[in-house]
Amino acid sequence: MSDVLTVKNLKIYYELPQGVVRAVDDVSFNVREGEILGIAGESGSGKSTLALAITGLLRPPARLVSGTIMFKGVDLTKLSEREWRSIRGRRISIVFQDPNTYLNPVYTAGFQVAEVFEAHRSGITASFLRYVIEIFRRVRIADPERRVHSYPHQLSGGMKQRVLISMAIAEKPDLIVADEPTSALDVTIQAEIIDLMNELRKSLGSSIIFITHDLALLAEISDRIMVMYAGKVVELGDKNTIISEPKHPYTKAILESINYERKSRLKAIRGSIPSLINPPRGCRFHPRCPFAMERCSVEEPRGIIDVKGRIVYCHLYEGGGDGGIKG
Amino acid sequence: MEDKVALLDKVKEARRRRIRELWDVFRSNKPAYISMYVLLLLAIASLAGPYIAPLDPYEFDLSKARLPPSLEHPLGTDELGRDMLSRILVGARYTLGIAVLSVITGASIGTLLGLISGYRGGLWDVVIQRVNDVLLAFPTILLAIALVAFLGQGVYSLIIAIAVSSMPVYVRLVRASVLQVVTEDYVLAARMLGLSEWSTMMRHILPNVLAPVVVQLSYHMGLAILIASALGFLGLGVPPPAPEWGAMIGSGKVYIFSNPHIVVIPGFLISITILAFNMVGDGLREALDPKVRALVRRL
Amino acid sequence: MASNLFTYVFFRSLQSFVTFFGALLLFFFIVRILPGDPARLLAGPEASEEDVARIRELLGLNKPIYEQLFSYITGILRGDLGVSLKYGTPVLHEILARLPYTIALALVAEAIAIAIAVPLGVLAALKPRSVIAYLASTLGILGASLPVFWVGLMLIFIFAVELRVLPSSGAESPKHIILPALTLSFFLMGNLTRITRAAVLEALSSNHILTAIAKGLPLNKVLVRHVLRISLIPILTVISLQLGALLGGAIITETVFAWPGIGSLLVDSLFFRDYVLAQGIIMLVVGFFIVLNLLTDIAYALVDPRVREILWRIR
Repeated sequence: MSDVLTVKNLKIYYELPQGVVRAVDDVSFNVREGEILGIAGESGSGKSTLALAITGLLRPPARLVSGTIMFKGVDLTKLSEREWRSIRGRRISIVFQDPNTYLNPVYTAGFQVAEVFEAHRSGITASFLRYVIEIFRRVRIADPERRVHSYPHQLSGGMKQRVLISMAIAEKPDLIVADEPTSALDVTIQAEIIDLMNELRKSLGSSIIFITHDLALLAEISDRIMVMYAGKVVELGDKNTIISEPKHPYTKAILESINYERKSRLKAIRGSIPSLINPPRGCRFHPRCPFAMERCSVEEPRGIIDVKGRIVYCHLYEGGGDGGIKG
Repeated sequence: MEDKVALLDKVKEARRRRIRELWDVFRSNKPAYISMYVLLLLAIASLAGPYIAPLDPYEFDLSKARLPPSLEHPLGTDELGRDMLSRILVGARYTLGIAVLSVITGASIGTLLGLISGYRGGLWDVVIQRVNDVLLAFPTILLAIALVAFLGQGVYSLIIAIAVSSMPVYVRLVRASVLQVVTEDYVLAARMLGLSEWSTMMRHILPNVLAPVVVQLSYHMGLAILIASALGFLGLGVPPPAPEWGAMIGSGKVYIFSNPHIVVIPGFLISITILAFNMVGDGLREALDPKVRALVRRL
Repeated sequence: MASNLFTYVFFRSLQSFVTFFGALLLFFFIVRILPGDPARLLAGPEASEEDVARIRELLGLNKPIYEQLFSYITGILRGDLGVSLKYGTPVLHEILARLPYTIALALVAEAIAIAIAVPLGVLAALKPRSVIAYLASTLGILGASLPVFWVGLMLIFIFAVELRVLPSSGAESPKHIILPALTLSFFLMGNLTRITRAAVLEALSSNHILTAIAKGLPLNKVLVRHVLRISLIPILTVISLQLGALLGGAIITETVFAWPGIGSLLVDSLFFRDYVLAQGIIMLVVGFFIVLNLLTDIAYALVDPRVREILWRIR
């Protein structure tokens, strides 16, 4: 099994008048073929920026400072706009968070999905409509023949999200990035969408990066989980390992706060997310970490791999570990 | 008891801070800030005009007609030999006064009607909306002209005419805002606490719909000046020999070939005034509308 | 979807009809409601007793109200707008003779305004810190601030007096339309430029652009389909809102340039207290305006499908 995507030492900064926001600061990870990698983190953790970078949608004031993103032998960070066009929508696609604002209100749902085909094949949009109907059927949109002619405002939230998903799977891409695809929907619809994505993954064979703040969701759907905090990776590993034996204090705290193990009281993590313009020195989590040592405020932790293949970035596990990875 | 006082103090403090914030945003918009002072200057000119004018704006002397600017007449004389500078100074109160009074009147009545229409709904809404539609069916300038034609010439007819033609915009604007605001929870809360409809309307809804009204007001002043001076230009406004700036242009226009200053100077001043109001309107919009503020910050 | 459009058109047209009727009634009653004798009001303060009596007779003001209303309404339905007090000829006749001039002026002015303002606004939004953007914002500010009659006079001064290139009044040759049309278009351009720029900026920052780009669509298609088409909505709004300003501005412009349209006819008729002529013109203009608004709203419904649902309640 090879890697579909390999991200190495990625740094993306936002240049704002108030200062430079280090949104993604030296992040490395990989995505294997056919797997679902869940990326968990609060808002401000850098996960959405990451999503934009992988699809080449970064716009000023965001700037890719350094690092590489290898996708099937191609370094995405070095692509021109023209080269991106053949990749976007066809080999890498993205499902956005809010179906209300991410769909154009003046075109029909069918037209907008057909545009994906039009972008990569010859022929006018209308000729692709029959394919769109098939896709709609696949994503379980009821009455697809009629729905292709519906406008976004005539569709429910769940249906709109399915339209976005349709766009993402239309050309059977190798990698689908889903940026909080269920956050704008209610719980019942969420469950349906999750089921759908699971099924699609099996039938399409695509890899999926599933980004969300909801760790519980990832516990259901992902194969591996990566936890981000303040622009850095804190833990990355097999889903079961992370959920049942979390190593990083932040991961532990999140799991406790969602009461995943059904312990008695909900615990909030004290403190708040640090400023990304002036992040804390050393480990970014140390001001809120109950296990913080002196070292944590001075030195940034390296990644330590354990026997199960999980990587954790925390000084607590150095020394006894199996060797570290820088970055 | 102390908690209550402390809470009230906090609310007042927050309000003061908010006003400070708005003021700072407004101030950061340089054109708006400068324009505000320009308007202030104009306001002073209109109030003090008759007292600081060097010569009598009505005294005419045909032998000194149409003189270009000189030491004795810094802005020259008009077609009847009257001193332009004095006429301008005294005329300021017509241009500004009419615009301000008429727009404020129209806006107030319009806002009230919009509040009633949006909040009370029902028959009130239907009637007010239909009448408003009829008023809106007339192009603003045309409505003003028609009203002036019927009400006769004079300052008050002018004010009424412009007020009536400005009103419909506010009815619509306020009604739309009210419809939005009325769904908010705090309105429901107020009613449940037993607040009368009138009180609810005034104390809870009005402050929240004021922002777009204030912005519109500023732009509208500019438009009102345009209409007032246009009517003066057409000869339908304030009757002569009043030195209304538009009327000055109107009576001086035949001399544009030979003595353009009679036309250029008042026109220039009208332009500056309208420009100032527009800039202030922009500034207010930036300060009050969170969406615009975000967009501007992004730039 | 088609049925929705038709429903919308039907109800919207109905609303226009009601409004026009309301305007007619307003006009009818406004003279008769004001305090004082309507005949004297219309005759004006300088009229003699016999003038007042003559007017009262001519306009049938001595007849009972319902009879007046009846003949008023039937007259309008028949197309009879009365006889001009000054010219003695049917009002409709006078209006139709001069209407083409106003329409020509309005169309040319609006065409010039759109042709200049819209591209300027779009470019200003796409290249925010360029010379074009600066030009656009200056034009926007000036256009909205300089009074139209003054601009007209200034243009006359520059082109007719100093340069002696263009005629300053009358309508004898095609050249005569240039200055008045330019003046009127300048009046419109100000706002149009600003709103176009704002609309395109707003569309550029909207989320569905990201979706469009993420599909792999080439930038030009994204621009035209997803940016410009959405921008059309606010641009159409402004153009329709400006129709009133266009008509009002035309009235003023015609007076400045002695352009023989119905605008200058209206102003003249007000001076001569030719109430019948004035009313006829105003009624026609209002009716025209209502129809134009209706057409714009229908155009709206064609461009933005969300509008068709709203029908006429929210308006």
